[in-house]
Amino acid sequence: MTAALEVSGLNSGYGEALVLRDVALTVEPGEIFALLGKNGMGKSTLLKTVMGFIAIRGGSVRLFGDDRTGQPPHRIARSAVAYTPQEQALFQDLSVRDNLQLGLRDRSHFDEDLARIGQAFPFLPTRLAQRAGTLSGGEQKMLLVARALMARPKLMLIDEITEGMQPSVIERLAGVLRGERDRAGTAMLLIEQNVQFALAVGDRYAVLKRGEIVDRGAVGEAGAVERITEHLSV
Amino acid sequence: MAVSPEAVSVPVGAGRAAKSDLRKLGIIVAIALVLVAVGPWVLPTYMVNSLIRAFLYAAVALTVDILWGYTGILTFGQSAFFGIGAYAVGLIFTHVGYGPGYATLAFFAAVVGAMIVAAVVGWLAFYHGASPLYGSVVTLVLPIVVSQILYSGGNFTGSSSGLSGFESFDVSIEAWFWIAGVFLILLTALAWIFVRSDAGKVLVAIRENEQRCEYVGINVSRVKILLMIVCAAVAAVAGYLFAGVQMVVAPEYAGFVFGTELLIWVALGGRGSLIGPVLGTLVLDVSTSYLSGNLPFVWKLIIGIAFVVVIVALPRGLMPLITGAFRRLLGRGKEVRAESAPTLAAATEQPFAGLQGGGAQALAVSGVRKHFGSLVVLDGIDFSAQRGELLSLVGPNGAGKTTLMRCIADGGERSGGTVRVNDHDIGRLPPYACVAFGVGRKFQNANVFETLSVAEALRIARSRLVRPSLSQHSTTLELPEVALQVIRATGLDRDLQREVRQLSHGEKQALELAMVLALEPSVLLLDEPTAGLTKSERTLIGGILVDLAQRHRLCILLVEHDLDFVREISSRVIVMHQGKIVLDGTVDDVVNSELVRTIYAGGAAQAAA
Amino acid sequence: MATLLDIVTTAAILFAVSAGLLIVFGVMKIINFAHGGFLTVGGYSALAVTKLGWNPWFSLAFAFVIGGVCGMIIERLVVRPLYSRPLDAILATWGLGIIIGQGITLAFGREVQFVQSPVSGAVDIAGGSYSEYRLLLVGIAIVLAIVLGLALNATRLGLVTRAVIMNENLAKGLGINSGLVRFGTFSLGAGLASLAGALITPLSSVDPNMGVPWLVNAFMLVMVSGVSLVSLGVACLVLGGAQVLVSSWGNPILGGLTIVVLAALVLRFRPQGFARD
Repeated sequence: MTAALEVSGLNSGYGEALVLRDVALTVEPGEIFALLGKNGMGKSTLLKTVMGFIAIRGGSVRLFGDDRTGQPPHRIARSAVAYTPQEQALFQDLSVRDNLQLGLRDRSHFDEDLARIGQAFPFLPTRLAQRAGTLSGGEQKMLLVARALMARPKLMLIDEITEGMQPSVIERLAGVLRGERDRAGTAMLLIEQNVQFALAVGDRYAVLKRGEIVDRGAVGEAGAVERITEHLSV
Repeated sequence: MAVSPEAVSVPVGAGRAAKSDLRKLGIIVAIALVLVAVGPWVLPTYMVNSLIRAFLYAAVALTVDILWGYTGILTFGQSAFFGIGAYAVGLIFTHVGYGPGYATLAFFAAVVGAMIVAAVVGWLAFYHGASPLYGSVVTLVLPIVVSQILYSGGNFTGSSSGLSGFESFDVSIEAWFWIAGVFLILLTALAWIFVRSDAGKVLVAIRENEQRCEYVGINVSRVKILLMIVCAAVAAVAGYLFAGVQMVVAPEYAGFVFGTELLIWVALGGRGSLIGPVLGTLVLDVSTSYLSGNLPFVWKLIIGIAFVVVIVALPRGLMPLITGAFRRLLGRGKEVRAESAPTLAAATEQPFAGLQGGGAQALAVSGVRKHFGSLVVLDGIDFSAQRGELLSLVGPNGAGKTTLMRCIADGGERSGGTVRVNDHDIGRLPPYACVAFGVGRKFQNANVFETLSVAEALRIARSRLVRPSLSQHSTTLELPEVALQVIRATGLDRDLQREVRQLSHGEKQALELAMVLALEPSVLLLDEPTAGLTKSERTLIGGILVDLAQRHRLCILLVEHDLDFVREISSRVIVMHQGKIVLDGTVDDVVNSELVRTIYAGGAAQAAA
Repeated sequence: MATLLDIVTTAAILFAVSAGLLIVFGVMKIINFAHGGFLTVGGYSALAVTKLGWNPWFSLAFAFVIGGVCGMIIERLVVRPLYSRPLDAILATWGLGIIIGQGITLAFGREVQFVQSPVSGAVDIAGGSYSEYRLLLVGIAIVLAIVLGLALNATRLGLVTRAVIMNENLAKGLGINSGLVRFGTFSLGAGLASLAGALITPLSSVDPNMGVPWLVNAFMLVMVSGVSLVSLGVACLVLGGAQVLVSSWGNPILGGLTIVVLAALVLRFRPQGFARD
């Protein structure tokens, strides 16, 4: 089976600073992969590079078997990839409905999908006309996830979605992501600092430190938690 | 702080380079003067007349190049000052009379009038925080206003037909050729000396990075306004001579279209090269006066096309192409940077320059708040710090660390609360004024001047304490001991004449740190100084910071994500979370804090709850 | 009463002339100084229609199409490389304005020419008579504002365009081809400018430099309006109104300066101009 995402030998960065050095990782279809690491270690840069926002200095990015190295962001997004950035991820001045619709190329199944996703996030269907910027922080995060799911992606790239979320919401979110994977076989690459959450939803993990992957393995593996804690410790 | 006795001298003939440059200039000026001297006798009269006008236009184009090419101010307005100079002659000679006394009066009216208008325009266009686009808008409005006033002046200004037939200087056409030619040559030579001087580099620094200039204590608004005033005076003198020789003035000479024509000449010749705009103006204006008779519209069409092509494809204009071709023809290789490295020396240090003593408390922040609309980023921050402290600010993304740094270095940033630096309230003062109180800020991403050399960048940082020369390119570079230490430790002292953009990321970070230290700050703000550095570079920077705090008694505030690094060097740590200080204590307090562990590893919300 | 009508009709004309420039500035963050050239193109499109003896109403559609096609070509060749150099874009588009002006001069000659108006005559309003065409322009400007407003706020294309205005990177990440949006926007802006050129010609005349004075006023109005059609409308009414008052009670030449001077001062003390914060 071809991998949903295959990154190999990836180098990238801003200006002259190389943020990622020779990064390789594979996300299989139907797999949830958690990429862990502290601030400033290059996790977000990895997603931005995969999406084509940052120029690739070396290595390649393949999506579902096709070489996508160096393609512009809108082309990447159109190959069934839903990207959820960490910052400025919503159009604050647009309505909830507009935000959801902007993620869609095909709007014929909008109502159907909204009904289904609305079960996980009950506030959504009732507040479609509200300006996204007036939602609470947690609601905005849920809207982000909903927008990504509505696009019926085959691969989701999610950047620190749990930041600033209530524990109860985090728990619900974990259920939603796992449910979507089980239902539609969606592959997911999660960037996380919240180790508990990452280990609760992820199948495999890797730890990024100073732009290099320093540890990887399966979530259930013996000693995994200890090694991760060691890498992320204060 | 002790003055380091051992000044490293790089024994290169630094003075020689400057002298040979001057000699070259002298030779070129001499050749140009000879050409101008023989011109009227060998050239046809029509050509002589055209050239007189072109010489004066070129002088104005030169001021456009200084403003736009060197300083980055896109100006449409130099024509207005030219017009003011011309109308000073036209109005006084027509309505008051002609004579040596009146000629002198007209000269002062031209220059002083233009300078006053320039001061008003500068005040309007270059206020602190004005966007470059706004500056251009104002320079565009100026010639429109001036020319419309001239149109509406009735018989006094001659309205649309302008003024003509007034009595003027009784000077032969040859003499006018010499006057205009010598004026242009001397002006170009002076401008050449100025842009190569230490002060001239300040202009390039402003073009390259206005923000960094503010943060090394340069009052950018003031520099731009002064420059505008000087350039206005020069353009007015050109206009004065123009009216004197042509005995005609018309509103078009003060108008917006002439203003853009100047830009076209400068762009085609090559902005930021002085000689390019001068030659561009001479060639284009003279060929226009020959060709516009035969193929009036086609010629202007060709100019338009050439202009668009140059802007899109050759932003540096045609001059580099020509000089490049010359070089290839002469078989010389690449352009060599003529200046040799300056000699480094330890500066006589003047800590707290301009302040009354060091102050009891280095930094006192109380009740500082910052919000963007309804989003609260800083929510009542209180802390103070003493000299000799190395205080680390940690916390997750979005905690408000960088915002706090900004609020300390720029009085205009915060929404509420007070910040005192060395017992001085920073009030609403802009960054350059905060620098004067002792603040030095290093940005997150190396924030330097890409096209300057390392030495020039450091000298810009010294310009607050050492007034840059308007004519000299200094051959020594005096820096405080701590700055010298940084550039030696990182090997930058061997790269003083290298262009900054060729430096590695780590070297740029070190350069910026050295630039900030060259300010002789007492409160040092560092935003992730080790981001993107290798392990050994980090260790080096860490050692320097500890030394700065312990030996040189600086108060250092450090934003850092690398907690290992923080643990190694800090004397105190402040943990921020969601705009508040959640912990303020020693390194051990923080390392052992359950709260901090949850903020970093677990859910952030749990920590807040 | 006549003054009031002057104010309203002047504002309508200014709005029509500025709308295309506003849309290009809003989406692309560059000032299109070829806007004056496109106005001229529209004026001469109307002239061509008059010369061919076609129905004067047809000149509006004709001008829109010609301007739009010019915009398409120019976006590809000149504007695209300059997105990251906004000040250079001003200069390059000014150069384009020169090229357009000279091309027109070569094709049509430099003399002032007149265009047939689709409507002529005057109507009686409140005891005085007023130009029917100027009143018609108010209606056209209102229709234009409504159509643009609806296109921007009630269609998928408008939603995508607004998304690019608000956050281009986010839009790209959602699969929106922002390059195409820019291309479409520039072409639309050029088409609107040309349409406006055709609209204003019956009021005066055409000559190869007719666009320049309009360009400067439109530019200043856009500067004080931010990127909103509503604030552009307000700016046109306030500054256009001031222009009418200064012209009729003061001096027409000073009246011509009103918009640029007031706009520059407004921006000095309120950088966001007439836009809400």
